[in-house]
Amino acid sequence: MNATNRGVNRTVLFLVGVVLVAVGAAVVAAQLWPAAADAWQTTASNTLAWMRQADEATRIAEGTTLSWMAVALLALLLVVVVVVVVMIARLGGGRTSVLLREEATGGAQGAVTIRDGFASDAIRHSLAGHDEILASRVTAHRMRGTDVLHVSVTARQNASPADAAKTVTGLVDKLSVLTGREMPTLVSIHAGIRARLASETPRVN
Amino acid sequence: MTTPILKRATRRELHSPRTVAAATVLVLVALAAVYAGVEIVLHLLRLDPLLVTPGAALDGVAALPDIEAKPAVIAGAVVVGIAGLVLIWLALTPGRRPRHRLDLPPHSVVVDNAVIASSSAEHVRRELDLPRGAVVVGVGHRSADVTVRPVPGQAVDKNRLRTVLKDELTRYGLPAGMSVRARVLRPEEGNGER
Repeated sequence: MNATNRGVNRTVLFLVGVVLVAVGAAVVAAQLWPAAADAWQTTASNTLAWMRQADEATRIAEGTTLSWMAVALLALLLVVVVVVVVMIARLGGGRTSVLLREEATGGAQGAVTIRDGFASDAIRHSLAGHDEILASRVTAHRMRGTDVLHVSVTARQNASPADAAKTVTGLVDKLSVLTGREMPTLVSIHAGIRARLASETPRVN
Repeated sequence: MTTPILKRATRRELHSPRTVAAATVLVLVALAAVYAGVEIVLHLLRLDPLLVTPGAALDGVAALPDIEAKPAVIAGAVVVGIAGLVLIWLALTPGRRPRHRLDLPPHSVVVDNAVIASSSAEHVRRELDLPRGAVVVGVGHRSADVTVRPVPGQAVDKNRLRTVLKDELTRYGLPAGMSVRARVLRPEEGNGER
């Protein structure tokens, strides 16, 4: 539940996919179909001739290999690399450490900030006493200007997800009473390697 | 599930972000661009190319239809095309994760299918008094199936089995529209243990 822009991810996949399909289809057509092979060769030799001519015409100085054409190509490649690096750097993120902030209201009370560590400690310690929950992780995320609490727990094998959910949401409700603020909360209950390794829920309680 | 923001968070938890695929593709694109840049610079400096000079590479592309090894070229192109189709498929399919949303307002709860399956299997096992490991439940996006292997001499009614599982899933807060398939296997010879 991070701030990754999923539309960008899918757009990248779609565009690269379309390019690959187009290249593959063009090469296969050029191999199997004489008309397509002719078209391929004419286009390719025309493009190559144009590039060579542009390369000659835009030489920066006599007797060098450097041309504006080459510079433009390199700049284009650089732009591609920079855009890609920026896109990769923007993946993930969106975690916030401030759970809620109460501004100073005059009088004796100053500004109050509650950090996610507080919610995390409170919920994790309370969950430690519950047998059906093996592990928990509490994070706060900022989505569209609202803070969302995400409580992720690993349930013991065979434990009822409804019971586990009730346990966790009960604790979240208590936390919201404690802080005096309702926070939108997403609870996710996972199976995992820990659930498989730990013993099952006891059959006699 | 009341606020739109929680709806959004839940939707994001239920669907794959496709980050791994996108990051892999982006890294490959960057590597290709860097390689092309290096070859161009080497060519400009009149140094030996790493693999092929830019001019020779372009001539090679132009001469692709005349190449001798046609099957190899076609096979390579088909592989490229299939890779492209896979990427388009990744881009357009919803990419649902094996999870379900439970209806427990005002909070939003998302549960792995494996948790639902193991818990409801245990419930069915106790309800029908079956031995350990005799009940296998699979949970999908829109359906669940249960397979039971009773001990010899024990009769398990298929409809009862389906009802028990369906009730348990409804109790969890799963959508009522989920279809449940039940299967009763023949009892195993011997003591019924697996």
